Amino acid sequence: MKSWNPESVQNVLGRTKYIDDLPEPAGLLHGQPVVSKSAHGKLLSLDASAALALHPSVRVLTARDIPGENELGTAVSDEPLLVADEWTYRGQSLALVLADTRSLARRAAALVKIEGEELPVVTDPREARAKGMIILAPRTMRMGDPEAAFRDCAVVVSGRVESGGQEHVYLETQGATAQVRDGGGIFVLSGTQSPTGVQEAVARNLGLPMNAVEVDAPRLGGAFGGKEDQAAGWSALAALGAFVTGRPVKIYLNRKDDLTFTGKRHPYSSDYKLGLDAEGRILAFEVDYYQNSGACTDLSPAILSRTLFHAAGAYRIPNLRATGYMCRTNLPPFTAFRGFGAPQGIFVMEAALHKAAEAMGVDPIELQRKNLLRTGDSFHYGMPVEEARTERSVERALERSAWDRKRTEIDEFNRTRRDRKRGMAALPLCFGVSFTKLMMNQGGALVHVYRDGSVGVHTGAVEMGQGVNRKIQKVVALTLGIPEARVRIERTRTATVANTSPTAASTGTDLNGMAALVACEEIGKRLSAFRSESGLGDAPWETLVSKAHEARVDLSAHGFYATPGLFYDGKAERGSPFAYHVYGCAVLTAEVDVIRGTYRIDSATLVHDAGNMIDEVVDRGQAEGALAQGLGWALLEDLRYDGTGKLLSDTLSTYKLPDAHFLDFPLDLEFLADAPNPKAVLKSKAIGEPPFMYGIAGYFAVLDALKAARGDRLRVPGFHDLPLTPEKALDYLSGVIP
Amino acid sequence: MSELNREAPSAGVGGASSVPAGTAGALTVNGVRREVRAEDADLTLLEYLREVLGLTGTKNGCAVGACGSCTVVVNGQGRRSCKTRVSEVLGKDVVTIEGLEKPDGSLHPIQQAFLDAGAIQCGFCTPGMVMSAYALLLRDPSPDRSSIRTALSGNLCRCTGYQQIVDAVELAASRMRGDGA
Repeated sequence: MKSWNPESVQNVLGRTKYIDDLPEPAGLLHGQPVVSKSAHGKLLSLDASAALALHPSVRVLTARDIPGENELGTAVSDEPLLVADEWTYRGQSLALVLADTRSLARRAAALVKIEGEELPVVTDPREARAKGMIILAPRTMRMGDPEAAFRDCAVVVSGRVESGGQEHVYLETQGATAQVRDGGGIFVLSGTQSPTGVQEAVARNLGLPMNAVEVDAPRLGGAFGGKEDQAAGWSALAALGAFVTGRPVKIYLNRKDDLTFTGKRHPYSSDYKLGLDAEGRILAFEVDYYQNSGACTDLSPAILSRTLFHAAGAYRIPNLRATGYMCRTNLPPFTAFRGFGAPQGIFVMEAALHKAAEAMGVDPIELQRKNLLRTGDSFHYGMPVEEARTERSVERALERSAWDRKRTEIDEFNRTRRDRKRGMAALPLCFGVSFTKLMMNQGGALVHVYRDGSVGVHTGAVEMGQGVNRKIQKVVALTLGIPEARVRIERTRTATVANTSPTAASTGTDLNGMAALVACEEIGKRLSAFRSESGLGDAPWETLVSKAHEARVDLSAHGFYATPGLFYDGKAERGSPFAYHVYGCAVLTAEVDVIRGTYRIDSATLVHDAGNMIDEVVDRGQAEGALAQGLGWALLEDLRYDGTGKLLSDTLSTYKLPDAHFLDFPLDLEFLADAPNPKAVLKSKAIGEPPFMYGIAGYFAVLDALKAARGDRLRVPGFHDLPLTPEKALDYLSGVIP
Repeated sequence: MSELNREAPSAGVGGASSVPAGTAGALTVNGVRREVRAEDADLTLLEYLREVLGLTGTKNGCAVGACGSCTVVVNGQGRRSCKTRVSEVLGKDVVTIEGLEKPDGSLHPIQQAFLDAGAIQCGFCTPGMVMSAYALLLRDPSPDRSSIRTALSGNLCRCTGYQQIVDAVELAASRMRGDGA
């Protein structure tokens, strides 16, 4: 029988306690934010009298009640916890209503009267840039001399690429419970990927030192980046409520509020120019990214930096210039989402390469294969390409998917059918692993061996379904040489492991697993010294531990890990920002109904580089789930705001995400064999984000089929405006999209 | 067996004729008869289960019946508890995720299959998925993969690609038929 995550047993029994499932402490108040009803305005007055009259338990807190700094922004101070003078997006918190029950709090919040003066609204990133609404200075990475290289190119193509936003739809919405601690200070149970981030925000807002704020992060019902930075506000509001009233406060957003109030994946609008020689080798690439950053800085600079690092995708480009603009608009601050800017950059690169293939009349796969990164090349940020597994992955994926045979079959199908067309596409992957912010590449762990031989492990990692606890459990069991069942992974808490980085950037296991390993090695060293000193020979673990405790050997250790070898010169835009890269390749096939514009994915072949896997079930689940989310972003998920900054897709009945029918196709997933990674724990590789990019192959597979419907698929111009919804497919088929 | 089951064994479902004063009627939840207070009759079944009975295994994912996290089984049929009023299920038999576990504490074959097939990531959709699968297998012990997908198409999962969930239901069906898997 397969092994499974012990926590999953609680899930199937319905016993897992997510934040809203925990028993509520006596005297608990429910919090409901009062938010702006337009995307930009000046707050003139806030009248709470009708709300207060509703019920004696109602309290209304505003910016004036914040004892500390009214600020959530970490990179740039532009995000108040509660708006004091000007709101900059629709759904921004203006006040917090507290009441005995959730429904009372909601009713009271609706009674708070807001008077304001409407201000102009900008939702388009290019318009924002034209008006000078830019966050920080534009950033450029450069290699070689693209301007000169374009003169030597036989083929030069240029174009514009759009990619839409994406809602996280973590099934558990944002929430937190806060209460005053014995001896002062605040305890927060927060649905966050970043317990230390929440701790810092609460301390800052309440004017407390960090040691007065304790944050626990229970298992999350999904996060995908949406609870990295954006969990802090809800936790800080709950903490504010508890601090001011002295009573426990819970905030748990309902789905509509969560969709309306919180940020999502950044939409990008980009311009590119790509030059190749007559043989199809890329000589030069220039790209300008207009990132729709939303109203506040949030994580936009870090996300833009990952876009720039992935500008060249999996390709070798000797001359490159990539420039990114963080454009401030009146939409909720866009934020971290699996892939963190890389998907947007890689999509532009692929679009450019497909455009070049059209200009040359060749199949895109030829250009993809001809330009793959090889060991010994250099990334445009100066890092040497070590052990590139690009070609290996691509050739294996083409072989496993029987590319040539399938291509012939598809062409034959397309020749004989007018009502339906088929297509296929590949996506070679190269994804850098490490936080691009150097400081964040550290992890901590505290391991206790109890005197009966059982083991408790605390780390900074937050379990949100990605299996990090399962992996750490295995790392600990292997390192100590004991059965997995003896190892328990404890809930993440700031009082046990401090100054943690968020569980993000796919690094949860790399950092925290390694920290746990370091701690286990330390305990192991003490125990093995004790074993030889005391002549215990090959006494079993339990005996060894119990005797060691009697002999007063310390059975606990703190482990710390800082990823070695990372450095980056931000001025020169040169360095080694990543510990290593993840490679792989996807081949997807699709079929389009030419009459309706509807389509389905017919098959997917993934060859993925996961290093030496710590847990194959976990990695398989991550790869498949990431592909599903990537396909959702590339094809289905249509995040819509109107021109006034109002979210139109504000329920799960108007925002379509992949369901069991959409994902009904044979999926062949192979992990690269004999591919150890010396740069991470137990020679594994990070798995969370990289396979998300495979969804991009879905876009180009559907587009390939659509092009076949319009003529010679090798020459018909495609279009690069993601997501490729059936609506757009129909517009393309009918020529509304040229 | 859950705490709730232990304290009050099922007494059958009361008809309208036996409604005591101040109550709206009764329903059965996981085999236990529950008198519904008049003021609770207008709650959604989801609110009633979670807030009145403290059965928090049933999840609120969207509140508009679009995600399936709140699925329970009412008289053998899968039902969105967020879109169902308590008053609509008076006299009926409700099974939630907490009611699937066998009296000896062992897992229901569907629960076991979800573990064995690796069908769980964050786990938030799991109770709803398991209950939709339970409703399916009640009416069709031998569903093909396509019927399984249809039965689960109202349940959203954001972590997996559904593959393992479909595998799990297929595995459970085969075990429940005694195919010896």
